[in-house]
Amino acid sequence: MKYETDTDVQALLPLAPAFLHILIALGEGERHGYAIMQDVAARTDGRVQMSPGTLYGSIKRMLADGLIEELTTGAAGADERRRFYCLTKFGRRVAAAEADRLTALLSQARSSGLVPRRS
Amino acid sequence: MGRRTFAERVYHLLLRCYPGEFRDEYEREMLRTFRERLGHDRTVGAMAVLRLWWQVVMDSILRAPGEHADVLRQDVRYALRSLRRAPAFTLTAVATLALGIGANTAIFSVVHAVALRPLAFDAGDRVIRVWEDNPSLSITSFSVSLPNYVSWRERVRTAELAAWMIGTVTLPGSGDPVNVRSLSASSDLFSIVNARPVQGRLFAGSDEALNAAPVAMITEGLWRRQFGGDPGIVGKPLVVAGTSHTLVGILPDQSVPLDAEFFRPLRIDPGQHDRNNRVAQVIGRLRPSVSLEQARSDLHEIARQLEAQFPESNKGWGVTVSSAFDWIVPEDTRRALFILLAAVGCVLLIACANVANLMLARAVGRKREMAVRVAIGAGRRRLVRQVLTEGLLLTLLGGSAGVLFAYWSVPLLKGWLPETLPRVDEAAVNAPVLLFSIGVCLLTGLIFGALPALAGSRSDVVESLKEGARGSTSSATRWRQLLATAQVALATVLLVGAGLLVQSLQRLQRVDLGFDPQQVTTAMMALPADRYGGPRAWAFYQRLLERLAAAPGVEAAAITSGAPFGGGNTGMPIEAPGAARLEGKPLQTDWRMVSPGYFTSLRIPLVRGQLFTGHPGTDERSMLISATMARRIWGDEDPLGRKLTAGPNGEFTVVGVVGDVRNLDLALEPAPTMYISTARYLWPTMTVIVRTGQAPAQSSTLIRGIVRELDPQLAVFNNRQTADRIASSAAQPRFNASLVALFAVVAALLAALGIYGVLAYLVSQRRQEIGIRMALGAGRPAMTRLILGRGLWLAAGGVVAGILGALAVSRWLEATLFGVSARDPWTFAAAALTTGLVTLAASYIPARRAARVDPLVALRAD
Repeated sequence: MKYETDTDVQALLPLAPAFLHILIALGEGERHGYAIMQDVAARTDGRVQMSPGTLYGSIKRMLADGLIEELTTGAAGADERRRFYCLTKFGRRVAAAEADRLTALLSQARSSGLVPRRS
Repeated sequence: MGRRTFAERVYHLLLRCYPGEFRDEYEREMLRTFRERLGHDRTVGAMAVLRLWWQVVMDSILRAPGEHADVLRQDVRYALRSLRRAPAFTLTAVATLALGIGANTAIFSVVHAVALRPLAFDAGDRVIRVWEDNPSLSITSFSVSLPNYVSWRERVRTAELAAWMIGTVTLPGSGDPVNVRSLSASSDLFSIVNARPVQGRLFAGSDEALNAAPVAMITEGLWRRQFGGDPGIVGKPLVVAGTSHTLVGILPDQSVPLDAEFFRPLRIDPGQHDRNNRVAQVIGRLRPSVSLEQARSDLHEIARQLEAQFPESNKGWGVTVSSAFDWIVPEDTRRALFILLAAVGCVLLIACANVANLMLARAVGRKREMAVRVAIGAGRRRLVRQVLTEGLLLTLLGGSAGVLFAYWSVPLLKGWLPETLPRVDEAAVNAPVLLFSIGVCLLTGLIFGALPALAGSRSDVVESLKEGARGSTSSATRWRQLLATAQVALATVLLVGAGLLVQSLQRLQRVDLGFDPQQVTTAMMALPADRYGGPRAWAFYQRLLERLAAAPGVEAAAITSGAPFGGGNTGMPIEAPGAARLEGKPLQTDWRMVSPGYFTSLRIPLVRGQLFTGHPGTDERSMLISATMARRIWGDEDPLGRKLTAGPNGEFTVVGVVGDVRNLDLALEPAPTMYISTARYLWPTMTVIVRTGQAPAQSSTLIRGIVRELDPQLAVFNNRQTADRIASSAAQPRFNASLVALFAVVAALLAALGIYGVLAYLVSQRRQEIGIRMALGAGRPAMTRLILGRGLWLAAGGVVAGILGALAVSRWLEATLFGVSARDPWTFAAAALTTGLVTLAASYIPARRAARVDPLVALRAD
């Protein structure tokens, strides 16, 4: 595994929404494709329904960017040869950085009065 | 996984839109995810299912192309990296392709401008040219008599016709008077070629009436040049040849494709014109939904009627109808250009073969790399695509460099083109030419990219890995040898073509002209009828000739109605009462009006009898005839003193026989020609001929100066040295011969490079075998012979194929050749020998390398 710097992290921001959804879905542990899809739908009250093409297109790129990795053995032996994915350390850093970025944006929006302050 | 449901099968089909690599990786998972999601959505409701279908369909439309682009990006990146790692290969391949594609683009830009582009005027494909012809006198495409034109126009239903006559006029203006080409034209001419005035109006039918007020039009160029672009000139009077014309309009340059700059309405007085006097040109436009064939048969029928109606003038005369395109871009010109395009196409094919050869050599060298990649999971499909991508990338690089090269070389090429080539001014690397280049690029990329891909992909992984560094595929080697042979064959074809064209050119240039063009200058002038009517013209010319003859450095001077290679011809049928050879039929004869000094000025030899004396009394009824004419009429009998009848001009007595002269074209056998004296006849436009002992450049200033002293209002034009005119008449064959020769040399060099590459590779590959042979006692000369033999064997196949190919295509050259047969055995032999020698030279270096193999080193190497 190559050594990723902060610059590498910044280079990936802002993240595509699909990427962020997948990172969040994998935050609690490894999942297979359909589980990610379900998780994203559940978290968004069914408003975000990823298509299989979006899901696997994103997975392919995120693997290439080193944000996630494929588990070599199926988790808990649940399904034969089902492919499970989990976050890498780098993926966590990128997700955190994106969350920071969004938080900063949100607080700017609040201070300019565009969004009501939390009471 | 169990049996797939219908929905899953549909989704599986949709997944086909994704690239193979993507499917290999994710198809199973995606199908499974789809099944689970569908199962879930069905429990939710129809809308959820519909949404899923919508999503997966949009995926195939929007996401799948993105994945393809991704793969392509990767391929290109990989190809670029691998090309960068082999700079020598890349540079050689790109340079070879740039040369090939650039040369093709440049030549195509000329072919497109001249022979493919539609005519400049609108509806050009419906415009026709009509000539009279007389097969019994072997006259094709002759001018038309005005009464015949009027009859045609009255009777023809399939086309509208217009006539014109060409002349020159001297125009006043802001500077010196200028002489310009003028056109007397029917008003319909301008609508047929769709000319639109930039100012004022076109001629109307009423302007053609015999008693209408004289009107004129000029071109925009002339308006700017001679009248300073005077905005108020339309409506002003313009005095031409003593008559005041009202200028009614200004036409855009070249809107009438006849090079004229001054236009007058053609006025025809049917009572005044002789039906036998063929002086006008006729253009026409097919009526809607009429074919060229229909117009042709319509006009043929009319000509037949006229022949029956006016036998004394029209016996034997018919019509020739051709498209405007054939008239403006003659078939000869088109053929010459397509020969060039074919030749340069051959060069590109050879260049392709060279690059394919290089790529094959590389593919063999990279076999292990490929095998390793297959072993670690790269699909075979991907490897093939990788090689194809490299090929296309190379062509793209080569093509871009080539188009740049063409962009830069087309202006140079234009300067070098024969000036007789029509429509070449606009040759440029424009959109259609670029389209052609892109097509050529794709085609070449596929040709030389596909071969190595095919040869490489069939390799067996395990075999290649086992073979080790030596790894050669016999299939690739066979391909390479085949390519080298094909190159030799194409180069042989080009060498034969170049040999034939060069010989034809040499014979053309060595042809006996019948006169001496060196140090001869000609210039044309026209005397305005109002000031030089009757005997005043002849008096003027006599004074001019006296002054010219007395000028320092002038050896001889003359005037004539038409100098050799001055453009145009004049001819008429001649009758020779009592000459048995003609069987009572007239002989079509070229004629020239000449002053007595004509024959000494041009050094045309007197064969028998005497020349004109210069005394009008004796010269008026005398005639000189060419040797061919004398032979055609009287055979070996003495022609002196015999009488000839020249139609309405009456009877002449032959006083002398002069040598034959090629007046029109180097390739045309001299026609029967007769000379009559200027003491009796003068043409409205005469050509002055001066032979000098000094540099001829000064003689045009001399002629101009003397004319100006005699009459400052006269214009002298078309000043030119006769030797130049002859050189430019051979310009087209010279251009073709030199370009094809250049292509042939490039082709031979490229083929030599191909042979060299194959043999050098062979030697490096068979070092061990050579080492063993030498260790077993084979001598170095035997090794040299082995390799040379292989080279010659390859070449022999190529030469045989090339000779057969050349025999097949040289028929195509036949029509452009002069004095040499398209199957000239010596040319074929010389081309074969040249190819053989070039191959031998190319084989020599690898052969020597083979002889230098050290058996010990070679055997230890592996």
